[in-house]
Amino acid sequence: MRSPITPLVGLVLACSLMFGCGQKKDRAAAKVTITFWHSFVSSTVPALNELLKKFEQEHPNLAVKAQYIPSGDALIQKLITAIQSQTAPDVSWIHADYLQNLVQANAIYQMDEFLHGPNGLAAEELNDFYPALLEAASWRGTLYSMPMEATNLGLLYNRGLFRNAGLDPDRPPQNWEELREYARKLTFDKNGDGKLDQVGFGIPIFPASGPLGNWMAWQWLPFLWQAGGYNINLEQTEVLFNSAAGVQALTLWKEIYHELNLISFTPDYDAAFPGQQLAMMLDGPWNLPRYRGFRHIDWAIAPLPAGPAKRATIVGGEYLAIFKQSQHPQEAWTFVKWILKPETQAEWSMKSGYLPVRHAATKIKAYQDFLQANPGLKVYVDQLDFGQSPRPVDFHGLEITRLMAEAIEKATLGKQDPKTVLDEAAAKANQLLQQAAQAARK
Amino acid sequence: MPFQVTKKSRPLIYQQGRSAILFLSPTLLVFSAFILFPVLFSFYLSFHKWNMFSQERAFVGLENYTRVLQSAEFWSVLKNTAVYTLGTVPLNMAFALLVAYFLHKKVFGKKFLRTAFFTPVIISAVAAAVIWRWIYEPNFGLLNYFLSWFGLPSVNWLNDPTAAMSALIIMGVWKTFGVNMVLFAAGLEAIPQHYYEAAEIDGAGKWSKFWNITLPLLSPTTFFIVVMSIIGSFQVFDIVYVLTSGGPLGTTKVLVFYLYEQAFKFFEMGYASAVAYLLFALIFILTLLQIRFLQRRVHYT
Repeated sequence: MRSPITPLVGLVLACSLMFGCGQKKDRAAAKVTITFWHSFVSSTVPALNELLKKFEQEHPNLAVKAQYIPSGDALIQKLITAIQSQTAPDVSWIHADYLQNLVQANAIYQMDEFLHGPNGLAAEELNDFYPALLEAASWRGTLYSMPMEATNLGLLYNRGLFRNAGLDPDRPPQNWEELREYARKLTFDKNGDGKLDQVGFGIPIFPASGPLGNWMAWQWLPFLWQAGGYNINLEQTEVLFNSAAGVQALTLWKEIYHELNLISFTPDYDAAFPGQQLAMMLDGPWNLPRYRGFRHIDWAIAPLPAGPAKRATIVGGEYLAIFKQSQHPQEAWTFVKWILKPETQAEWSMKSGYLPVRHAATKIKAYQDFLQANPGLKVYVDQLDFGQSPRPVDFHGLEITRLMAEAIEKATLGKQDPKTVLDEAAAKANQLLQQAAQAARK
Repeated sequence: MPFQVTKKSRPLIYQQGRSAILFLSPTLLVFSAFILFPVLFSFYLSFHKWNMFSQERAFVGLENYTRVLQSAEFWSVLKNTAVYTLGTVPLNMAFALLVAYFLHKKVFGKKFLRTAFFTPVIISAVAAAVIWRWIYEPNFGLLNYFLSWFGLPSVNWLNDPTAAMSALIIMGVWKTFGVNMVLFAAGLEAIPQHYYEAAEIDGAGKWSKFWNITLPLLSPTTFFIVVMSIIGSFQVFDIVYVLTSGGPLGTTKVLVFYLYEQAFKFFEMGYASAVAYLLFALIFILTLLQIRFLQRRVHYT
């Protein structure tokens, strides 16, 4: 039997001998190429390519080589390998979760190096950014990255189903009680076969260890804040998600989950909503371009209902970091700085469905017109003013998010007592924080 | 068969050895770089603390091993792995033998059927798991649709903690039984026909021929399959990763998935390496036990 590998190896060898695959030298020596890694959802890639083309037109001496890596998990693993083998990109798009690891590996620049340089940003410019984003872009109070775009969480709802249930589609639920009541009214099993034909509200429960575990925890945080809680204390000595507010928020999720019998319903809300089987769900602005294609549904976006303590939504984003292995850190900064320009931000938001990272972008006339034409996006942009980002967790952030996600899953799907599971998760999280504090003292 | 080296043949062996090394060198190079080195390096790592990012690797002795053994999660994933093994191996073998037995006879379209049953083995696990996700989908999935024909209630296969493991086992059997089917088929081919002829003259029925001739003479194949299937099911990862990601409530989190998480989600390389070596030790002991207790029951022609 001939091995199928042999021709492959031959091909690779021949290819590398003849062309030096992938090692093409730029002819124009003056032109600097910036490598940029990202893992945008594939639907965003065309918009990104337009953006990069525009940058290259404005900067004839610079070229951007974008490399798409399909998932955030794959991206970080590729970055690790690249750092070890001294082949890191100039700029990469990262999740704030991994900031700690990259900083401790001494892999990325502090932004102060560029912000206060000759090509820097003035302090008033920095003040123009939404503070929640800069907080998430920092590690222990130092900026290590810059936000490329913002997102937050809104309530997506189907106006047609509201009308059918006798609810006013112009008055989405304003608080927790209404959310619960609407959800009940919008849930029914028409033929009594035990299978729900329509569900009022999708509580986003996914396996904590799965790819959507973090997404679940991320959507629970605004409920914690709406009840007046926090994820961690400022001294980083203990987590606070098991406070009374945490128990209140998780109890709400648990009760809605069981009232609507969501265990029998599909967790694939992205398919259930366009299929008119789901009336309300939590969602971010990145799906707006997709919804514009749903001509058959009368949908709208509402701000998240207010909790017992206040209004809140979660603000997130993706961040651009500049790597210390870069041969062209100044050119890389030029690229990042261009991305941060209000005009770029406005254009990027209109094309991609993400939100701008600074107020100035929302003042641009063309963007304001766009918001008038797209009320859904406007709701998200307006929400940025009361959006919070989770307090950064300096050490073991990934594990602590996981513990929180496990507690959420145990209380809803596992029917366990919210307080008990949150206390258990908090005890484990606090142990990790103590270990980190001890290691830091050494 | 140990090779007897006599004084006389040594020069020849020496010559042969040299050219053998020469011929083997490309494979040996690949093997060393992609198998031998990682095996040794992860053994080294299992005594160190390393997060993959930093340049330093602190020596911690046996701490990783003790931490793994004290971790409640480790024991629960071990239990899940055992459940998966106990579920897939017998089902897999019964199914493989059944199909091999019927395809051994003169059946119309025998070749086609054999290929069809073997296909799942070749399909990429990820693509297959994506298809199975749709089959198991609670609202518009194929499986619940079939169940509804018989008036059975629909099951939320992948999100119900009581059903997810069964869903995983069903897919695991579907995915791997083809290999065992081919092995059984080869084993059946190897049984000399004259035993059956002799039995028929003695007036043995179908069942008694199967029980007294086929099964005992298949036992070398069966033994091999038991050992390999258990090793394989202890190492299951890809279908878990795509189908359930260890959920719901961690009911399908198996050992290798746990290892993957520790290594590539939390960057605990030393800890994950210790898990890997414990898994190796476990499979090693299990295989030894099987050789000790099952080998005795193997009949050769």
